Amino acid sequence: MEGMAGTLTPQREAATRDEFEEQFEADRPWVTIVWNDPVNLMSYVTHVFMTVFGYPKTKAEKLMLDVHQKGRAVVSSGTREKMELDVSTLHGYGLWATVQQDT
Amino acid sequence: MKVTRRSDGLRLRLDPVESSILATLFTDLADALAADAFGTGDPIRDRLYPSAYADDESAAADFRSMTENGLRDERVQRARDCADDLSADDVQLDPESADRWIRALNDLRLVLGTRLGVAEDDDTDHQFGPEAQDWAVYHWLTWLQDSMVDALSR
Repeated sequence: MEGMAGTLTPQREAATRDEFEEQFEADRPWVTIVWNDPVNLMSYVTHVFMTVFGYPKTKAEKLMLDVHQKGRAVVSSGTREKMELDVSTLHGYGLWATVQQDT
Repeated sequence: MKVTRRSDGLRLRLDPVESSILATLFTDLADALAADAFGTGDPIRDRLYPSAYADDESAAADFRSMTENGLRDERVQRARDCADDLSADDVQLDPESADRWIRALNDLRLVLGTRLGVAEDDDTDHQFGPEAQDWAVYHWLTWLQDSMVDALSR
C-alpha cells in the first residue's frame, strides 16, 4: 500500500498482512489428483470417473487422457474432508490418487 | 468366454476351465488380503493402499489408519462374491454386480501386474520367459475387464 504509509503503524501493517495470508492459505481449495500408472486401463479409468463423479463421458475421457499423457490430472476440488473422501473412493477402485492443497 | 450386454446388465459365459481358474484367482486373492499377506515394503501393498499425501507423511499415516482396514475388507468381500457368482456357468450380472466384477478384476490385475513389474509401453515378448503363464493370465484378465467395461458402456 504505497502512499498510504502513516495510516497504520508498520507493526500493525505486518500483522494485518500475516492475517491476510493465513486467511488466504486457509481458503485455498483442496484438490484430488489421479496419477498415471501402467496397470489401470484407459477404458476402466474413464468408467471410474463417470461412476464416482457422475461426469459425462466426454469430460471423463478428457481427464483420463490428461492422466495418461501428462502423468496426472486434477479430478475434483473442494474441502479437505471431501477430497479425502474422493481419494478413499478412488483407492477403492484401485486408482492411484492423492490429495493436496491447490497451488 | 463371451461377454454380452443385456438390458439389465451383463452376461458372462465361461467354459469350465476358465470359470475354475477365475474362481481360484478370486479366492486366493481374498485369502491373501484377509491374511494380510502383502507386508510392509511389498510393492503390492503400496499399490493396493497408496499414500494419499505425496509430501506429508504424517497426514498420509493418519489417512491410512482410517481407511486401510475398510479398503481391505471391501476387496476381500468383492473377491469372495465374484467367486460365488462362478458357481453358475452362465453368470448374469445386474449393473451393480457388473461394477463389482470390474473392480475385483482390477484388484487381481493390480496384484499380478505389480508382481510382474508391468511397465508403460512395455513391448517385451513374455511368451517364453519363466513367468509366461502369469503374463498370459494377466493379459487374459485385461481382456476380460476391458470387454466388460466396453459392454457396459454400450
